[in-house]
Amino acid sequence: MDFKFGEKEEALREEIREFAREELPPGWLTVMLEEESRDEDWAFAMSISKKLSERGWLTMSWPEEYGGKGASLWEQLVYLEESGYWGIPGTMMGISGVAWVGPSLMMYGSEEQKEKYLPLIASGEPDGVWCTGYSEPNAGSDFANIQTRAVREEDEYVINGQKTWTSAAHRARWCWLAAVTNPNAPKKHQRISVLIVDMKSKGVTVNPLVNYAGYHIFNEVFFDDVRVPESSLVGEENRGWYQLMTSLAYERGSLGPSGYGYNKRILDELVRYAKETNLFQKHEIRCKLADMAIEVEMQRMLVSQTTWKMSKGEMPTYEPSRDKVFNDKVQERLAITGTEILGAYSQIDPLHRDSRWSKLRGCVESLYWLFPGISISAGTDEIEKNIIGQFGLGLPKSY
Amino acid sequence: MDFDLSGDQKILQTSVREFLNKECSKDKVRELEEDERGYDIEMWKKMAELEWMGVVFPEEYGGTEGDFIDLMILVEEMGRYILPSPFFSTILSSLSILEYGDEGQKEKFLPKIAKGEEIWTLALMESSVTYEASGIKLRAIPEKEEYILEGTKLFVPYAHVADRLLVVARTSEEKNPKDGITVFIVDVAKTKGLEVEVIPTAAHDKQCEVRFDHVKVSKDNVLGDVGRGWDVVNFIIQRGAVLKCAEMVGGAQAVLEMANDYAKERVQFDRPIGSFQAIQHKLADMFTEIEGLRYLVYEAAWMINVGSPSDLLISMGKAKANEVYQRTCIEGIRIHGAIGFTREEDVGLYYLRTKAAEFAFGDTDSHRKQIAIELERS
Ligand SMILES: Cc1cc2nc3c(=O)[nH]c(=O)nc-3n(C[C@H](O)[C@H](O)[C@H](O)COP(=O)(O)OP(=O)(O)OC[C@H]3O[C@@H](n4cnc5c(N)ncnc54)[C@H](O)[C@@H]3O)c2cc1C
Repeated sequence: MDFKFGEKEEALREEIREFAREELPPGWLTVMLEEESRDEDWAFAMSISKKLSERGWLTMSWPEEYGGKGASLWEQLVYLEESGYWGIPGTMMGISGVAWVGPSLMMYGSEEQKEKYLPLIASGEPDGVWCTGYSEPNAGSDFANIQTRAVREEDEYVINGQKTWTSAAHRARWCWLAAVTNPNAPKKHQRISVLIVDMKSKGVTVNPLVNYAGYHIFNEVFFDDVRVPESSLVGEENRGWYQLMTSLAYERGSLGPSGYGYNKRILDELVRYAKETNLFQKHEIRCKLADMAIEVEMQRMLVSQTTWKMSKGEMPTYEPSRDKVFNDKVQERLAITGTEILGAYSQIDPLHRDSRWSKLRGCVESLYWLFPGISISAGTDEIEKNIIGQFGLGLPKSY
Repeated sequence: MDFDLSGDQKILQTSVREFLNKECSKDKVRELEEDERGYDIEMWKKMAELEWMGVVFPEEYGGTEGDFIDLMILVEEMGRYILPSPFFSTILSSLSILEYGDEGQKEKFLPKIAKGEEIWTLALMESSVTYEASGIKLRAIPEKEEYILEGTKLFVPYAHVADRLLVVARTSEEKNPKDGITVFIVDVAKTKGLEVEVIPTAAHDKQCEVRFDHVKVSKDNVLGDVGRGWDVVNFIIQRGAVLKCAEMVGGAQAVLEMANDYAKERVQFDRPIGSFQAIQHKLADMFTEIEGLRYLVYEAAWMINVGSPSDLLISMGKAKANEVYQRTCIEGIRIHGAIGFTREEDVGLYYLRTKAAEFAFGDTDSHRKQIAIELERS
């Protein structure tokens, strides 16, 4: 056993901290899901993406030929933790570019696709920004139930249908789209293919869907006779479902380390606040902070264990689901307990985080208003628990 | 024992529900969030015509002689419809006038309140954002026939449209922070040096910062006794807490119903999501907690009504309501999936109000402490 990081990782950690000090405004804190909402936040995020790319960090674990550094998973873990902790924006390239479009293309994409799209993502430029088009009005948890059609016509696919809850579609250049290519297949799962769609294509319409707290995170996206070249197909036709199960694991897995870093920061901020305001004298506050500290450290162990498994070349199965559910649990506790600690000050509109009534730059209330959505995205807790039961515990399928 | 509402109470409940169902749609709520005033003047007038403002006043002050249970029923329905309105702060102020005001004050103020002619609010909280007496720092310094008020109040509901404020101030420094507190009635229109700013809260529910810069208040406008204002404050907190609980019960019930309906309608994996045990158990938990909470709160209100000691039950109710309302909203959103995260779906509107309700009239820990004190004493 060894619970220490190597020298290389610790050196990288220092470098990233220095980067955060230099590049981010003093006292900077962000919240997940927040960067795509406002134009100025997005512009700032993109400017940081560019800098991360220049340092070779943005896609550090990718091979050099595609714009990476061939960094180890441990280095990547440190990078993600630190970026979460310091709230470094622009690490994702939309909602999906870095974490799952890239890795999926490396597994299933054609040479041409890899050469075209991977360096674009790695460049940190707006043309490397992606959104993910899976969910539809009747296909959320039941993702295989999608209806959007892609029909082959000579050397093109013609796409018709509607996607919904598409995060960052209003920022993205490309859509990583799941569509039905074989409606007559005996099983729903055998109908689906993955296609790459240029969001500038004729027939693509993006409508904003506004969150209850006023954020513009996701959208509905309509595809009306959208034509894409047949070379837009990723991997095999009608094998999309099986490919996507792998990339969904990446999606959930990617949330772990940065989620941990972010949660640790919130905890540290609350501790600092409690010290400054003398709340630390109160027994009940001490207990609350202690409980949060336990869970945050547990989370660090869990996400590190997942990385460890992957570093040995094993495929994670239930672990990404476990880490996702755990992150949701920790964030719920931080949000509820954090707002209890801030008291009435925690009701400030998260879009007015600079107001003089906001404490800790509004990071706690933003988390409070957003964590229910974070817990629904990328697979609800119920669905993740179904996966843990089935694949982690070997229980019969429950639905 | 009898858990039922009386015939008259049922009629009241139905009529309030019918009125709000018509007048206070969720679109109206959304519209009022953006509105500068934050409430609907026409609706306010209609509420006054329905005699809601004077529901607990004796006839001589223009009231209808109802009791505390009637008021609770009203407020519970308002919580169900998340009615944006200065009703709560006005009614709570008037309860303290009724209890602590002298005859002149009652005659002067209560009939106007009953007719809906005046909006009142409570300027209680300060930068400590607690309800502890030590948090009252706003100074009131006697000067001839007047007091001079200096300080800042926070999270004062609807202060920007209020005609009168009840201001809790410190008139002297004593060893016990509960001593030396006095409550003043401040006539906003006739007073110089008051500055009101609406705080941008997530619920857009018009809570304000009120700054007092050399504000003069006549000695006639003291409510209760000078230096013994903590009794008044305590009364307000207790009554406010029960009524806030009733509001939260109404809100939680509405969210439960929405989530339950949605669970029956929404189909995934070829079946309604309500048929998944994970969802059914969630709803069953919410249901049980809300039923239990409702009776706890009714019991507390009943104790007040019959004049029995109610502090313990009020604290139990508020501590529990804080937890149940929040839990119901969070799970309510989750049962809706992504649509619950949007502005279009109503459940988010309730969630946005959880924190305001939680911190009004005592957070969970302060009430837990109160419960423990009572347990120790018994
Ligand atoms: C902030 C946010 C961002 C998102 N971004 C994207 C994006 O970029 N791209 C994209 O494609 N999608 C995105 N989504 C959509 C997300 O993937 C879906 O919301 C999610 O899969 C749930 O689907 P649904 O909303 O339709 O809920 P439903 O599937 O209708 O679920 C409703 C409820 O039923 C429960 N339920 C469903 N099935 C079962 C079962 N078998 N057992 C037990 N309980 C069950 C769920 O857990 C939930 O509580 C996003 C969602 C959010 C909230």
